[in-house]
Amino acid sequence: MRRAFADTLVQMARADDRIIFLTGDLGFQVFDAFCAEFPRRYLNVGVAEAHLVDCAAGLALEGWRPVVYSIASFLTGRAFEQLRLSVGYHQLPVIVAGAGGGYIYAPSGVTHHAKEDVALMSLIPGMTVTVPGDPTEVAELLPQLARLPGPSYIRVGRFGEPRLDSAEPIEVGRGRCVRPGRGVAVLTTGGAVIPAVKAVDSLAVEGIEPLLAHFHTVRPLDLSLVNAAAAAASTFIIVEEHGIQGGLYNTVAAWAAEQRSPVTLKRLGPGDELVFGNPHYDDLLRQTGLEAGAIADTVRQFWSPD
Amino acid sequence: MDGTHTMDDVDFDDLRLRARRMRATCIRMAHDGREGHLKSTLSCIDLLLALYGTWLRVSPDDPRHPDRDRFLLSKGHGVTALYAALAEYGFMPPSLLDTYAQPGGALPNHACRHALPLLEISSGSLGHGLGMATGMAYGMELDGRGGRVAVLMSDGECNEGSVWESAMFAAARRLDRVVAIIDNNNMQAVGRNDEISGGMPLDDKFRAFGWAVRTIDGHDLPGIVATLRGLPFEPGKPSAIVARTVGGSGVSFMEDQMMWHYRSPSAEDVERALAELGVAPLHRATP
Repeated sequence: MRRAFADTLVQMARADDRIIFLTGDLGFQVFDAFCAEFPRRYLNVGVAEAHLVDCAAGLALEGWRPVVYSIASFLTGRAFEQLRLSVGYHQLPVIVAGAGGGYIYAPSGVTHHAKEDVALMSLIPGMTVTVPGDPTEVAELLPQLARLPGPSYIRVGRFGEPRLDSAEPIEVGRGRCVRPGRGVAVLTTGGAVIPAVKAVDSLAVEGIEPLLAHFHTVRPLDLSLVNAAAAAASTFIIVEEHGIQGGLYNTVAAWAAEQRSPVTLKRLGPGDELVFGNPHYDDLLRQTGLEAGAIADTVRQFWSPD
Repeated sequence: MDGTHTMDDVDFDDLRLRARRMRATCIRMAHDGREGHLKSTLSCIDLLLALYGTWLRVSPDDPRHPDRDRFLLSKGHGVTALYAALAEYGFMPPSLLDTYAQPGGALPNHACRHALPLLEISSGSLGHGLGMATGMAYGMELDGRGGRVAVLMSDGECNEGSVWESAMFAAARRLDRVVAIIDNNNMQAVGRNDEISGGMPLDDKFRAFGWAVRTIDGHDLPGIVATLRGLPFEPGKPSAIVARTVGGSGVSFMEDQMMWHYRSPSAEDVERALAELGVAPLHRATP
């Protein structure tokens, strides 16, 4: 996703001379092409997240289209007030890009874990919040975010994630029905869609055909797709690399409560706890149910052929 | 600094009259709006006067002109001083001052750009104005614009770490169109700035961050005007003006009194203050 992010940024800057990129001292060699082509529109402000965001707000007030980039945990947490006030209160079109959202930096410890980035960004009125599932979604969503009138957040993963196999269009605010199905609906955001596809495809031989709905945009949530999933399925299995509060699960649960929906909600993902022990990322995903086997097992558990 | 001999174009008698009237105006607003912060408001009156009366290239006829100088009130709690200056210099009708701190009005008790779009920024939380100013300055530089960017900050605001992140950036990017003016009244909400912030004075701090710095008397209008005319102090460096001021300046019983950070003046306080100042507020009297 980071390669897709950096490459897309260059294309965007070529197409729009108001695009300006600010990094909080992150991205060694990743943005060399951008920096070489647009040296004046590349700013490394240093390890200074508060300034990173205030400075971007100032640029946006002058009609620039800033993209700010740093590690997701530091950018959304440490600079939260700057995001809330300088960007949110001023309703400025700043793109906030959090690298390594979720547990991508799992071995680096609790300081680098970002299981609350979506929650924090969703707290800011007017903020569009996206969690792409693969590099293609990064490349498609980023230019769309740059055309929004207000601020947006995009969680950018790591390098070399697999591509999602889906012909569904990629539009901000619109979910993607990656696999049609019935009985059970798997709802994903972010990279969780990849193991979810694997799980759903593996179940076909057993005659189990859950629907798979993917939401790269958590806010605003595509309620038409949620409603369609509810019409097809009585159980939602929500899979996300995010904490319980303020992510996809919470948003769908609020929808279900408001609708008095009879749908059963089941969640797979990290719990409300600190993760100690510097685990490998893939091990942590396994432990928290974010892998194909656990998703398939959960679907089987709720599957009832009609 | 004595700049009086080179400033024949400035009518200091007029400025001094306006200084008293702005103080009277702020005191009436604080009373009618039942809002405080007079200590912080009165200490920056002369700075705002010098800016709007003699230095800022910004016109009421075209307040959003792309080449205007930008003024950012980062100490948002001192906003009545800005409202008074804007009314003094024709950016808003004085009658609008009657609506200060009224729900839904254009003049809330912290600067809000949505309520009053001619403001450059909204403020109220400290430590954001300088960072935003540097972003604006960098953007203006890319656009090849000539405008300057002035930020008025409080000394207490310099407790915020973000101020120093932004100070570092401004020096690194050689943003010499930026001037930070620090209203150094040495009073915060509940303490003295020099006691809270350690041994190093603000001017030394900014100097250590690579800024060009002047320390001045923040109530000496000729001195302030002359200092502003010397900007930028050094090419390639952002400028800081540490203005030594007195909280509650201009009204004897408010000067250097901590309680006037929060306290709203009574009708009797207003009467005493206006008698001392010897001038009526800019907006209409309240019963």
